[in-house]
Amino acid sequence: MGITARHVGKMIGEPPTRILSDINLEINNGEFLALTGRSGSGKSTLLYLLSTLDRVSQGEVQIDGQNVGKMEPEMIHRFRNANMGFIFQFHYLLAELNTLENVLMPARKSGRQVEREHYARSLLKQFDLGDKMHRLPRQLSGGEQQRVAIARALVMEPQYLFADEPTGSLDSVNGENVMNIIRDANERLNVTVIMVTHESDFARLAKRQVHLVDGKIQ
Amino acid sequence: MIFLAFRYLFERRRQTILTLLGIFLGTAAYVSISGFMLGFRGYLIDQLINNDAHVHIGAREEFLTDHSLDDPFYQNVFAHVFWDPAPSGRKDSDMVENPQQWYKRLDADPRVEAYSPQLTASVIFSNGKAISSSTLIGCDPRAQVKVTTLGDYVIEGQFTDLAVGGNRIVIGNELQKKLGLRVSQNVMVSLAEGPPTPFKIVGIFKTGNKLSDNVAYGALADVQKVNRTPNHVNKIAVRLHDHTQAAALAAAWAKISPERVESWDQVNSSIFDVFRIQDAVRFMSVGAVMIVAGFGIYNVLNMTVMHKRKDIAILRSMGYDTGDIIRLFFSQGLILGVAGTILGLTFSYFFCLYLQTIPFGGGPLGGGMGHLIVSFDPKIYIQSAILGLLSSTIASILPASSAGKLTPIEIIRAGAE
Ligand SMILES: Nc1ncnc2c1ncn2[C@@H]1O[C@H](COP(=O)(O)OP(=O)(O)OP(=O)(O)O)[C@@H](O)[C@H]1O
Ligand SMILES: [Mg+2]
Repeated sequence: MGITARHVGKMIGEPPTRILSDINLEINNGEFLALTGRSGSGKSTLLYLLSTLDRVSQGEVQIDGQNVGKMEPEMIHRFRNANMGFIFQFHYLLAELNTLENVLMPARKSGRQVEREHYARSLLKQFDLGDKMHRLPRQLSGGEQQRVAIARALVMEPQYLFADEPTGSLDSVNGENVMNIIRDANERLNVTVIMVTHESDFARLAKRQVHLVDGKIQ
Repeated sequence: MIFLAFRYLFERRRQTILTLLGIFLGTAAYVSISGFMLGFRGYLIDQLINNDAHVHIGAREEFLTDHSLDDPFYQNVFAHVFWDPAPSGRKDSDMVENPQQWYKRLDADPRVEAYSPQLTASVIFSNGKAISSSTLIGCDPRAQVKVTTLGDYVIEGQFTDLAVGGNRIVIGNELQKKLGLRVSQNVMVSLAEGPPTPFKIVGIFKTGNKLSDNVAYGALADVQKVNRTPNHVNKIAVRLHDHTQAAALAAAWAKISPERVESWDQVNSSIFDVFRIQDAVRFMSVGAVMIVAGFGIYNVLNMTVMHKRKDIAILRSMGYDTGDIIRLFFSQGLILGVAGTILGLTFSYFFCLYLQTIPFGGGPLGGGMGHLIVSFDPKIYIQSAILGLLSSTIASILPASSAGKLTPIEIIRAGAE
């Protein structure tokens, strides 16, 4: 069980430019993997390929033994909903919903918001947001917003957590805070974490680092 | 997704209200204008149906063609006859041929409620120095009051008093004023040449229409005598139990007889032409409002899709699929459409109730109660709702489907740039 990339290549744009070539990667459940590399090396592109948001140009990505390229869209959506959490550089919270509602959005998709509410509240309390559950995103600080986004990514107790520079827009204190939460999820909940970062301090927190140079693993 | 759609709409309250207003105005305008127009129209048609016969059987009218006279002159002698000049003009019989056969046919037909044979004569009415050339209509008085509502407009005397016979007439109010006569006085009636015959006025009617108040009615036999055309009938006015059968019945009768048979809606076809033009104007003006309202929804939704690209991306990453995203934006348009339509229909219903209370005395626009007549036909409300919902639906399709086509990766890449 885990994520496997075999000979994955990716071209983007018109005319097609090669961004990734011959990526082979095996990620086991419970791992904490950091994708590092210079800007433009293809870290984000690889992350989205591994997380079903994007499609490979060559090779294949398997998740839990299933070839993502051959999965029905409906299956992919259900899998994303139940097993995957995403954290981006920007929080992408829905501006019209309060903290708790935002966190429960994934549960709402599968009609489990009542069942998940207790866990959502406990996550928010854990993240020091217990008294801000009914605030709108614009009434929160940047660090608080990102912690809400992490709670949202974890509310379904997913197997996989994908993070694209989760600390990119935060100051060092908030960044550390976020990193601790992510590491905690990996250690205590056994969530498989795949995180893009170019801060070496944070990369070192991961159990394994994959370094990309010009679209190739080094 | 409806939940989120509502949140989006509430967040953009001003835009929401403005777009609502478009649909609101469109549906409200449609209901109000239609209610007013159709109310009046219904009244008018009622008047037409009630006041006049449903089927008119008249003397045939035949126009001569270039070869109409070939047969009478040459029978089959020549294959082709050249006329110089070619014959032209009108061949009138001016009378219904064989009215007895018609009476039999009408008596036997269960759809016929009543019929009145008529003879219209052009005569000169005179009272001493006062002279007026006008029309005297001979009819079956008892049947005539069943076929038309003329009897209701008699302001003095009784229409059926004509039935007693012996040169009596009921005279129109205008003609009566011109001649300066009163009920129970005599009026002299004559043809262009020939001696006058005295008729006794037994009633006066007033319909409010100057033209129809300028004629007089007598018993059929009396008028035939005055006109020196015994047994002639040039029109049979027929009333049916069900006026909607008139057109079909008229068509059927026209086929089996040489007479000109017309239903009430054929006789008044010019009024129906006007109705059609009114309808076109009504649909076009409301259609214009709806198009503007639709564009309003289209614009707002497109803008929302642009603003909410990140929301789409994150929702997709959570497992929401294309259909969910389409629903999210489509339902916003639909909510606007439904809410605007409901508001529009409710408002215009009360507005129409109010319109109804506006006094509008007498005249053809006024009803029996002396106020505006407004139609509350459910059809109007259904049509209006369809218009409102249709325009908002059509306006929502494109933005919603464009939102559905966005993939999360596109948005994230574009956002990173
Ligand atoms: N739509 C696109 N068309 C063409 N090239 C693209 C497109 N999007 C990204 N690229 C290129 O793909 C390469 C990899 O991009 P990617 O976003 O994966 O880099 P990254 O390692 O995440 O960089 P960063 O650290 O700046 O986020 C870059 O060289 C970028 O210019
Ligand atoms: Mg990146």
